[in-house]
Amino acid sequence: MKRGFSSFHPLTCFLYYVGALVIVMLGQHPAFLLSTVLVLIVFNIIQEKGGGLIRWWGAYATLIIFFLVLTPLINHRGTHLLFYFRDNPVMLEAVIQGMITGLSLLCLLLVFLSYNQIITADKFLFLFARVLPQWALLTMLAMRFVPLFRRRLVEIDRVQQSKGVSVKTGSLKQRIKNGLLFVQILLTWSLEEGIQTADSMKARGYGLKKRSRYTPYHFQLKDGLLLVIIILFFSLSVAGWALGDLVLEIQPMLESPLLSGREWFFYVVGLLYMGIPLCIEGREWVLWRFWRYKI
Amino acid sequence: MEILALQNLSFRYPDEEHWVLNNLSLSVSEGDFVVLFGPSGSGKSTLLRLIKSEVAPHGESKGQIIFNHRSIAEHTAETLAKEIGMVFQDPENQIVMDRVLEELVFGLENLGFRTDYMRKKVAEMSHFFGLDSLLNRRISELSGGQKQMINLASVLLLEPKVLLLDEPTAQLDPVAAKSFISMLRRMNEELGITVIMAEHRLEDVLPLADLAVILDKGTIVHSGSPRQLSAEIAHEKYQSYLPAATALAMTFSHEQEKMVPLTIKEGQQWLREQTIISKSLKKPEKKKKNGAVLLELKRVDFQYERDNHKVLEQLSLKVYEGECLSIVGGNGTGKSTLLRVLAGFIKPQRGHLKIKGTRSNKKRNEILKVGYLPQNPRLFFLEDTVEKEMEKAVASNKRLDHKTGKQHIDYYLESFHLKALRDHHPYDLSGGEIQKAALICLLLKSPEVLLIDEPTKGLDPMAKQSLIERLKRLNQSGLTIVNVTHDIEFAAQVSSRCALMFQGELTAEGTPDAFFKGNTFYTTAMDRLTRQTGVPEVLTLEEAKQTWRMQNS
Repeated sequence: MKRGFSSFHPLTCFLYYVGALVIVMLGQHPAFLLSTVLVLIVFNIIQEKGGGLIRWWGAYATLIIFFLVLTPLINHRGTHLLFYFRDNPVMLEAVIQGMITGLSLLCLLLVFLSYNQIITADKFLFLFARVLPQWALLTMLAMRFVPLFRRRLVEIDRVQQSKGVSVKTGSLKQRIKNGLLFVQILLTWSLEEGIQTADSMKARGYGLKKRSRYTPYHFQLKDGLLLVIIILFFSLSVAGWALGDLVLEIQPMLESPLLSGREWFFYVVGLLYMGIPLCIEGREWVLWRFWRYKI
Repeated sequence: MEILALQNLSFRYPDEEHWVLNNLSLSVSEGDFVVLFGPSGSGKSTLLRLIKSEVAPHGESKGQIIFNHRSIAEHTAETLAKEIGMVFQDPENQIVMDRVLEELVFGLENLGFRTDYMRKKVAEMSHFFGLDSLLNRRISELSGGQKQMINLASVLLLEPKVLLLDEPTAQLDPVAAKSFISMLRRMNEELGITVIMAEHRLEDVLPLADLAVILDKGTIVHSGSPRQLSAEIAHEKYQSYLPAATALAMTFSHEQEKMVPLTIKEGQQWLREQTIISKSLKKPEKKKKNGAVLLELKRVDFQYERDNHKVLEQLSLKVYEGECLSIVGGNGTGKSTLLRVLAGFIKPQRGHLKIKGTRSNKKRNEILKVGYLPQNPRLFFLEDTVEKEMEKAVASNKRLDHKTGKQHIDYYLESFHLKALRDHHPYDLSGGEIQKAALICLLLKSPEVLLIDEPTKGLDPMAKQSLIERLKRLNQSGLTIVNVTHDIEFAAQVSSRCALMFQGELTAEGTPDAFFKGNTFYTTAMDRLTRQTGVPEVLTLEEAKQTWRMQNS
């Protein structure tokens, strides 16, 4: 993807993602969140053929179900009684609240998925290495650790399983103890290897002077234009939140989840913001089709 | 012209009595290929790190390191970062960025080179290394060998005058190691870069060297041209480092320094001039009858994900009591998976595992005690000292009471030469030591079968030799051993039966003799050396020593 969304200036892209995170956190309306999820899924399919979704769908589904089930069991405030579960009232408000929380978290994760594709390590360093070199280095190492940790835990589990130590069998206490021991080896091991990474960075002169760029990122006119659009739609969305139009009111009175009047306007604005990358990729796709059609 | 010199260099870690490096002096000329070898813990890494001052260990040092006619302390940090490059042992941990191209230019960017200069350099380098198709890939998708090649390329882009390598092939499989080394040879021969390399596998490296240095306990024991050095050490303990041709020639004659063969080709020329008859070998032809079948796999299929290829396909295998079975094969052929199926950690999708004839999976630990030694024995240790871990192992073995357990620990620590390390943290041990410690933990559980994954990875030749002796002894005392390895030399020496894994199946099997002799590529260096040279074919130096008689012509 040399063109498309990733070809824009890292600063523009980064600000877009910051905005996107804020909007999905503020926008507490199930209709809006559900549409956003769809937009983000389509974008992920275009970006990496759904690779991230396939890898993580299990975790995502668990998360949603967790909130969907747990919130009604804990939260009993509201006026619309659905049914009783073991003598506990299950409220419509709580179900909707659970849905909103789950969807909102899912949106956050999907935005991160897309962020990881667009803001690569070198763009991240470009943005922050000059302002905060030490912090940028630390963040880089930490981010590198996330997928590594996953792989390493699997490996530790494999090896320890051979000794009969496992987190999957035994009493709960024993399992928790084993789990903590695993995390302890994981940290010891990773710290040691982290030192090697730091050595390799130092050996190649990291931090000696101002870094230059292999890929020159020039802030061009199109970056400026996109930034203006981003700021415009972001401000409107925030206004929508402030006016209460992007939020479904639950307490004290449950609002109708159907959109009406002004809410439609802000719904469209918010969704357009979330769909900016999709529009840009879509344009590339149309152009490509059109070009093929001409020959 | 001299590019690098050590003058009476000594070094010790803070608060330590003994000197890790003791009064070293060495002179390296521009364009030299220097090979540095010696047992683990001899100070090779420390020496290389002292030369590369950014990663130098903390401690007290004496003497001087002269680079380009000035002490390294007088050079600017930039000059040193650019002109002395270093590649470390682990391919994975050196990588910072997540895409190949970003990783390649990491050093160039750090030193602030201009974009057009970098573009030109990268184009050049990727052409030289043939990296074009990899440039936009994610690093995590690459193999270990490719990763190490990227590390090398990234350092070379800075155009260093001296390239330091700390056991760069220790974590690679033999094929990847060979291609890495041949790339180094090109760097050295075509670009004239000075190379200083610490290495264990000398078979391919020694012939390239201009200067070979043996470091032991912090002092230079021998140094000189490879031939000169070979002649000197042929009858010492360092003999196990020598390439096959050299070791063979030096065992049977005292050649002049000039005549010492280093490569297989030279070795064959030397052999053609010799007359050798095989002694009427009174081989211990006891042709052991196969013992009872302990473990059996029947038409086993395994794949990790549904859409991926099958790692094991219709694989059948019997493990007999008392044998030492080596399963050899390239990387990614499913060897480790096979071992884990045998250990019962993963269940095959099709086919089944029989333990002593029964298929029950529940009480498998009562039927047959299996010990499993993983590729990375470090992850084996949960306690903070070696001894505590062993006590735990004893505690989990119901057949041992506390007191006999203690005696067992003492016995093993003594016979494995680990006594001094019993109170150490497992992570302070070297690769060979930690492997021994893990092996003891397994033995304390008195297993009947021992499964070992890639036992020789990262071991120096002397540690490898002692591992071979140890496993042989354990095998003779009745322990059944199954190992998977890509180290053919190891398999040829240790096993009573070998099997070749290829595309998820076991394609060939037999005694090491029948299995390897006659193979053109997939055999030991000693066999490649002796076949078709008119002398009796042998697999190992040991075999040659026993069966050959040299006639003085």
